[in-house]
Amino acid sequence: MAEPILELADVRYHYPTGPEALRGVTFSVAAGERVGLVGPNGAGKSTLLLAIAGFVQAAGTIRLAGHTLSRRTVRDVRRHLGLVFQDPDDQLFMPRVGDDVAFGPATMGLAAEEVHRRVHEALAAVQLEGFEERAPYHLSVGEKRRAALATVLAMRPQVLAMDEPSANLDPRGRRRLIGLLKGLPGTILVVGHDLDLILDVCGRTVVMDSGRVVADGPAAEVLCDRRLMESHGLELPLSLAARG
Amino acid sequence: MHHVMLDHFASGRTPVHRLDPAAKLVAAMAVILATVLVGRDHFLPLVPLAVALAAYHALGRIPLGYAAKRLLMVSPLAVAVAILFPFLEPGAAIGSFSVGGWVIQVTDAGCVRAADLLAKFFLSAWAALLLVSTTRFQDLLQAFQRLRVPRLLVTQLAFMYRYLWVLSDEMMRLRMARAARDGGAGPWRLRFHSRTGLVGVLFLRTYDRAERIYWAMAARGFDGTVRSAATAPMRLADWLFAAAVVAGGAAICLWDRLTYG
Repeated sequence: MAEPILELADVRYHYPTGPEALRGVTFSVAAGERVGLVGPNGAGKSTLLLAIAGFVQAAGTIRLAGHTLSRRTVRDVRRHLGLVFQDPDDQLFMPRVGDDVAFGPATMGLAAEEVHRRVHEALAAVQLEGFEERAPYHLSVGEKRRAALATVLAMRPQVLAMDEPSANLDPRGRRRLIGLLKGLPGTILVVGHDLDLILDVCGRTVVMDSGRVVADGPAAEVLCDRRLMESHGLELPLSLAARG
Repeated sequence: MHHVMLDHFASGRTPVHRLDPAAKLVAAMAVILATVLVGRDHFLPLVPLAVALAAYHALGRIPLGYAAKRLLMVSPLAVAVAILFPFLEPGAAIGSFSVGGWVIQVTDAGCVRAADLLAKFFLSAWAALLLVSTTRFQDLLQAFQRLRVPRLLVTQLAFMYRYLWVLSDEMMRLRMARAARDGGAGPWRLRFHSRTGLVGVLFLRTYDRAERIYWAMAARGFDGTVRSAATAPMRLADWLFAAAVVAGGAAICLWDRLTYG
């Protein structure tokens, strides 16, 4: 196995007003690996993403791209982690798509030409060339989703982490997103319930339930295990269920 | 769900659209300042201002109907105040009528006051309308920044512009969900109660969203300052435009002082 780029060791988190969301999560992701993180609602998947980005202070060890997450290193960790949130309206907060994609690179302190180049590249990578001047409010859900992806691609993160990337997308928008994700280089962590997307994009699947990892292995094996899937509130991906 | 945007015609390609936003902002402020500085009931000095605005309007190819509708939308307060002047301002009576035993007089001075107020309101609102109709909101924000308006205020305006419609969509969805169940009827007490509930839910959602937006910003390295791509410097034409409007406004004020004392 190649050098891990993301390592989680006994990550625990307890919401101040709620139940224990993470009860000792341990797994690592190798550079270039594509991992799907699945599980029923409330399994702790989204909380885990927030913990990796340092938005909730979890116990245990989180290492990303050589930085051990702490109050001091949180900026370095976030710089290498491209986090795509579930609702693109939260991610696209600038008045223009171009400004939004430029936000990350400009905040990194890059020169104006470099920022411009990255904006152009990132928008091209998500097939939104020429959308620089558009207002996010006027985009379709699929366009918003791709624009949100571009905002983190422009930062060239080492790990791309996406929360429910295909939520609310129509079949065509979803197919397009899957095509895009398959073409992206680098390490990708996809969280969600779209098991077919994960089967298509990710080589490996981690199943979480009640704040714990309950299965971890090749996507085709884990997702095909009907008993495992059903005992954790999931089902076989439609493409597999159809085959019987 | 789509809303009418504030800057509907702002993406045009006419010469006035191409002017630098900061130059246009300064020019609009100068026109408004000159309008309010012209002495009370002096109509002649307002004429060149109106001519200048009309020329700008024509150059920007803003549809008249659109402009008229917008001006009407912002006029109720000014009209409500102006309509009282003919009855309240002391002066020679030019007419009277009685309502239920009360005799109400209309004075000449009052009518002039009302016309003065309406004219000044109309010119100021027109100038502001032309500014936002020929300048995109985000460019206006950059102009504010260049004119040293506090950064926090500019950032806040940017967020307002971005999320105003998102929030009003959310409110619309909540109201539809309620209407789907009560059909817009029901005892008023219950309706009032559910309305306060809606406001509460909207507030909580807004609060949650604000947190998620902050996360999205922090995830991309936000440290308190919004940096945006550099803007093009002012061209000679922009300087000339701003200088001409400011000088014209000053000349009108001076003329007003000299003529009317």
